[in-house]
Amino acid sequence: MQRHPPGFRGLALALALLTAAVGLSVVLGMLLFWLIQSRIPELPAYYLLATISVALLPLLLLFRRRFPFLADWYYLLPATLFLLAFTVYPIVLTMGLAFTNFSGQNYGRPDRATETAVTYQAPATLQFASDPVKALSCDQSCVGRQVEVYQGNDRSRLKIVAESADSLTLNRAPSFEPNPERGQLYVARINNFRFIGLGNFTFILSSASTALWPVFRWNVIFAAGSVIMTALLGLLLGVVLNDSKLRFRNFYRTALIISWALPNIITIQMWNALLNQQFGAINRLLGLLGVYSIPWLTQTEWAKLGILLVNLWLGFPFMMTATLGALSTIPNELYESAQIDGASPWQAFRGITLPLLRTAFTPILLTSFAFNFNNFNLIYLLLPQGGPAVPGGLPTANSTDILISWAYKTAFRSEGGSAYGLGSAIALIIFVVTVGISVFNFRITGAFKEERR
Amino acid sequence: MKLVRNVIAYLVGAALVVYGALLFRGMVRDVPHTKAFGSVFIANGWVIVLGSMAAVAVVLLLGSLGYTALANRASGRERSPWPLFRQAVTHVALWVLIVITYYPVIQVVGASFDPRNNLFSFRQVKSSNLLVKAKVLPDLAGASLENYAKLVEGVIVPAWQWVLLVVLGVLLAIALSLAVARRLDPGAHSLERWQNRTLLAFAVLLFTGLALISPGQFTGITTESHFVLWVRNTLLLSGATGLLAVLLTATAGYAFARFKFPGRYGMLMGFVFIQMFPGFLALIAIYYLLSSLDLLNTFFGLLLAYSGGVISFGTWVFKGYVESLSPSLEEAAMIDGASRWGSFVRVLLPLAAPMFVFIFLLQFVGTYSEFILASLVLTGVKSWTVGIGLYNFTTGSFSTRWGVFAAASVIGSLPILATFYGFQRYFVSGYTAGAVKE
Repeated sequence: MQRHPPGFRGLALALALLTAAVGLSVVLGMLLFWLIQSRIPELPAYYLLATISVALLPLLLLFRRRFPFLADWYYLLPATLFLLAFTVYPIVLTMGLAFTNFSGQNYGRPDRATETAVTYQAPATLQFASDPVKALSCDQSCVGRQVEVYQGNDRSRLKIVAESADSLTLNRAPSFEPNPERGQLYVARINNFRFIGLGNFTFILSSASTALWPVFRWNVIFAAGSVIMTALLGLLLGVVLNDSKLRFRNFYRTALIISWALPNIITIQMWNALLNQQFGAINRLLGLLGVYSIPWLTQTEWAKLGILLVNLWLGFPFMMTATLGALSTIPNELYESAQIDGASPWQAFRGITLPLLRTAFTPILLTSFAFNFNNFNLIYLLLPQGGPAVPGGLPTANSTDILISWAYKTAFRSEGGSAYGLGSAIALIIFVVTVGISVFNFRITGAFKEERR
Repeated sequence: MKLVRNVIAYLVGAALVVYGALLFRGMVRDVPHTKAFGSVFIANGWVIVLGSMAAVAVVLLLGSLGYTALANRASGRERSPWPLFRQAVTHVALWVLIVITYYPVIQVVGASFDPRNNLFSFRQVKSSNLLVKAKVLPDLAGASLENYAKLVEGVIVPAWQWVLLVVLGVLLAIALSLAVARRLDPGAHSLERWQNRTLLAFAVLLFTGLALISPGQFTGITTESHFVLWVRNTLLLSGATGLLAVLLTATAGYAFARFKFPGRYGMLMGFVFIQMFPGFLALIAIYYLLSSLDLLNTFFGLLLAYSGGVISFGTWVFKGYVESLSPSLEEAAMIDGASRWGSFVRVLLPLAAPMFVFIFLLQFVGTYSEFILASLVLTGVKSWTVGIGLYNFTTGSFSTRWGVFAAASVIGSLPILATFYGFQRYFVSGYTAGAVKE
C-alpha cells in the first residue's frame, strides 16, 4: 500500500485529484445525458444525477489504480459530495442573495404590470404611444434596463441603449422577426434583481429598534428561559428518580417521558388548540381553580409565557433522561463512603452529585440553547402569526417571533413580500450567532482540542 | 473572592426572581375578568385544591407516624418516620406531575372519540360529574369512531394488503412475545438474535408494503380522507432519510476516526460548521436546484434536500463511537490479509450495528417532525406529510375540525410513540453515551 504524501502537498494533491475526478465525471455525465436526451426528449433532468454517478465510478477506480493513497479519501467522498451539492452550493447562493434585492417583485422575470403595446421599426427601435419611461415604470431613465419583447409565442430579451420622448432603442434586433400580421407586439420590463451591497443589512439596522433588537432579545430570553426551566425540572426529577429506594421509579421514568416520545410537529399544533382563550382545555381547567380565562396566544406577555410553558412540557423529559444518564455513572460506593464519613444527604449531594452534573451538563445545556435558539417548529406552529404586532414594527417581526421565524416570514410569506434577499441577510445574521454559540460551546467543553492532536 | 462571586450570583438571581414576580403580577392584573365559554368557574377554586393537597400531606404524615410507631413497637427498633413520609410525598408529587403532563394528551384522545366537538362548542354537557360538566374531562357519553371513520373515508384496500397487514401483525406479535420471553430469561442469547431477525423482517415488509400503497386507493373527496396516505408518505420519507443518513455517515465517520490524513482537522471542522447555517433558509437555492432537476413535488427531491442536514450529526456521533472501539480487531483482520475496505465491512460494521440503529432512529424521528422543507417542496394533497396535513386543519377552523384533528393526531403519533418506547434504550443510551463522553 502506497503511503499518503505527507503535509500540505499531500492534501493539495489529493484534493486536486478528487476535484479532477468529480469535474471530469460531471462533464462526461452531461455529455451522456445529452446523448440520451437526443434520443428520448422527455427525459427528466434528474437522470443527470444518474449519468454523473455512472461516469464517476469507473473514473474513481481508474484514479485509485494510479494513486492508491486516494482510497482513504473515497470513504469521505459520498458525504462530501452530498454536502457540496445540497448544502454548500445552496448556502453560497443564499449568501450571494443576501447582498441583492432578490424578491417576489425582483426575480428576473418580465413584470406583467409594465406590459405595453408597441410597434417595431427596423433596425432596433420600439415606438410607444406615450412616454416609455412611465409606461415601463423605470425609475428615471430606461437606459441600461432589460426588457422582453414578445409576439405570440416568440420572445426575446434585449437591453435598452437609448430613449426618446416616445421611443426606445434596443441594443440589437429581436431574435424573431416582428411581423404586424401575427398579432400585437408587446414589451415588458424585466425585474432583474441586482447587487445592492449592504442595503439589506442597512435596512435591518435602520429598523433595529422595532425589529432586530426586540426579536433578538426575546430570542435569547426564550432560549435561555427554556433551557433553565427544563434543566431545573429535569434535574429535580432526575435526582428524585435516581434514588434506588424509591419504588416504581422505572414506571415513573417511562411514564414521564411521554412528551418526548410524541412527534413535536403534532403536539405543538395540539397545544395551539388547547391554549385557545375561549375554548381551550387549559382555560377550562384554570376556570375550575377560579382563574379568569387567560389570553394565551393573544396578549404579548402571556403568549411568551405560554411558549415557555409548552417548551417546558416538551423539553423536560430529555433533561431528566440526561440527568439520569449522568448520575448512573456515579458508583454507589461513593455515597456509601460519604455516609460512613458522616456526611448528610445534602452534603453528599453538594459534594458528589453537583460537581459531576456540572461537567456532564455544560455541553447539554449549550447544545440545548443552540437548538432552542433556532426552534422554528415551536414558535411558528404554536403561533403562526407570531403573536400580537409590535407597534410601529414590521409585519414579519411580531412580538413572539424569533430571528428564524422572522427570516422565514420575510422570505416566504405574503406579509414579507417574498423578500428573499432580505431573508437571506437575516439568515446570515443567524448563522453568525449560531457559529458564535457553537464555538463557545466547543471551547468550553474542549471537544475539538483532542481532535487537534 | 469566591464569597463575593457567590453573593453577586445570589443577588442577580434574587433580582431576576423579583423582576419576574413583578412582571407576573402585572400580567395577572391585566387579565380581563371574563370566563371561558361554557366553562364552570369556581371562585377561589385554587384555595380548595391547595387546601386538599395540604390535607393529603397531613394524612400522609399521620399515617407514616402511626405506621412507624406500630412497626417500632412490634420490632423493638427506633426508626425515624421521615423517610417513609418523604417517599409518600414524592409519590404524590410525581402523580400530580403525571396528571399535569398527561392532561393535554387525555383531552386530545378524548376529543378524537367525540364526534360533536364538545370542547370547541357552546353546548353544555349534562353530567353529574363536575369535571365532565366543566369539559375538563372528555364526555364519553356519545363516544363513537366517527372522527376516525372520516380519516379512512373512500379508502380502497385490496386483498393482498389485508394479508400483508395480518402478516405484519403476526411478526410484531412474535417480536413482542420474544421480548417478553427475554425478560423472563435474560440469559438466552439466541432469543435476541431471533427477535432482531423478526424486527428486521417486519421493517422490510412494512416499508415494502408502504411503498406499494398507491395514491389511487384514496378516492375520498374530503382533504382528511387522505390522512393514511400522508402517514405513508411521512413514514417512507423518514425511513429513506434515516437510511441515507446511515449510508452517508458510516464511511465518513470511520475515515475521521481511523485515518490520519493531512487536512483531517479542517475537513472535520467544515463538516460541523457548514451545518450551522439555518438550512431551510437556503431554501430558495434548494428550490431552484430541485426545479432545474425536475424534482419539485417529488419525495426523491425532498430526500436530497434533507441529505445535507443529516450528515454532520451522524458523522460526529459515529466517529466518536468508532474511536471508542479498539482498532486491534481491524488490524488483526488486515494482518490476516483483509483489505482496509474488507476489514471495515466485515469487522467494524457488525460491531457498529447499535450505533446505526441510533442514527437511523434519530433521523427517522426528526424527519417525521420536519415541517418547512416538506411544506414548500411538496404541493398537492396527495403528497403531503402528516405535519402539513395537520397544519392545514389548524389553519382552518377548530370548531368544525377539532375532532378530526384529534383523531389524526392520535393515529399520526402512534408510529413515533411505538418506535420511541420500543427502542427506548437506544435513544437513552445513545444520548447518555454522548453526554458522558463529552
